[in-house]
Amino acid sequence: MENFRVLEIQKRVYENNDLEAEKLRGELKKNRTFLLNLMSSPGSGKTTSVVSTINILKEDMKIGVIEADIDSDVDAITVSKSGAKVMQLHSGGMCHLDAGMAREGLDIINSEDLDFVILENIGNLICPASYDLGAVKNAMILSVPEGDDKPLKYPKMFSKVDVLLISKIDTVSVFNFDFEAVKERVTKLNPTIKVFAISAKTGEGMQEWCSWLKEEIIKWNTK
Amino acid sequence: MHELGIVIEVVKQVEQFASEHNVKTIDTLVLEIGELSSVIPRYIEEVYPMAVEKSMLKNTKLKIEITPGLGKCDDCGFGYNIAQNNRTCPKCGSHDWTIISGKEFNIKEIYTA
Repeated sequence: MENFRVLEIQKRVYENNDLEAEKLRGELKKNRTFLLNLMSSPGSGKTTSVVSTINILKEDMKIGVIEADIDSDVDAITVSKSGAKVMQLHSGGMCHLDAGMAREGLDIINSEDLDFVILENIGNLICPASYDLGAVKNAMILSVPEGDDKPLKYPKMFSKVDVLLISKIDTVSVFNFDFEAVKERVTKLNPTIKVFAISAKTGEGMQEWCSWLKEEIIKWNTK
Repeated sequence: MHELGIVIEVVKQVEQFASEHNVKTIDTLVLEIGELSSVIPRYIEEVYPMAVEKSMLKNTKLKIEITPGLGKCDDCGFGYNIAQNNRTCPKCGSHDWTIISGKEFNIKEIYTA
């Protein structure tokens, strides 16, 4: 038997990311830039909701969007038509972003010249929940067709976000979706969560969501 | 692709620790993974050889210590293993609990020659 020396490290694996995220948040505060980390599953209407949000807020502030995907730039092309500054970030096959990648995106888009940056995270309700990206607020979208049971299946994501947008509410007559059940399930996991029901297609609920967001952006960028 | 990215991050941190502490060779890396951490030990073991391939951890052994997913029932106060009891209190059937341990995902220690 060989004799080994044991060296204790005792370090959380996510510690480096969390430190980097905290540093990034400090820089955003200094530069008066509000970063929103937007998460959801693929096909929840994330990009359409982003475009609608930009259209409502673009008169009042300079907006940028970081589109994160494993591959392609279809979302970036769609969003760029709204007039916002857009950059495409490729995760190279990774299922989530980390604070280092968020910083890379913010650097490329020159975020210090912007008031509000939306980071459209990779479509995935699991892994992105584990990573602090330095955002001021974390939001997620759950679309009506996905079903009201998702908070039960992906509790970590629902318990970590500040805001839940229930999207595609114009389709509710086709799907069996219980708003009250979702609110109850979500509030149990996350008592302080804000919930907005929206349809980017008809515009329903978009004003309420955008007024809340605008207020938060002003709060962060002036204090 | 989740576990590979995680292990590559672990490798970076261990290499940093080694350079700061003047460690030249490592025999074994010990990770501590909680049953409620959403990190799957089997996948970590599977990707480990790939993640360490171009690092100083190449040919090292990986040891994973599992910490139990223990919780306390919010309704009757009973302490039980959440992960092994299908997230249901075996005493009163409640699904509400507070986690006591099992969320860890730590680089615990290294064995050096």
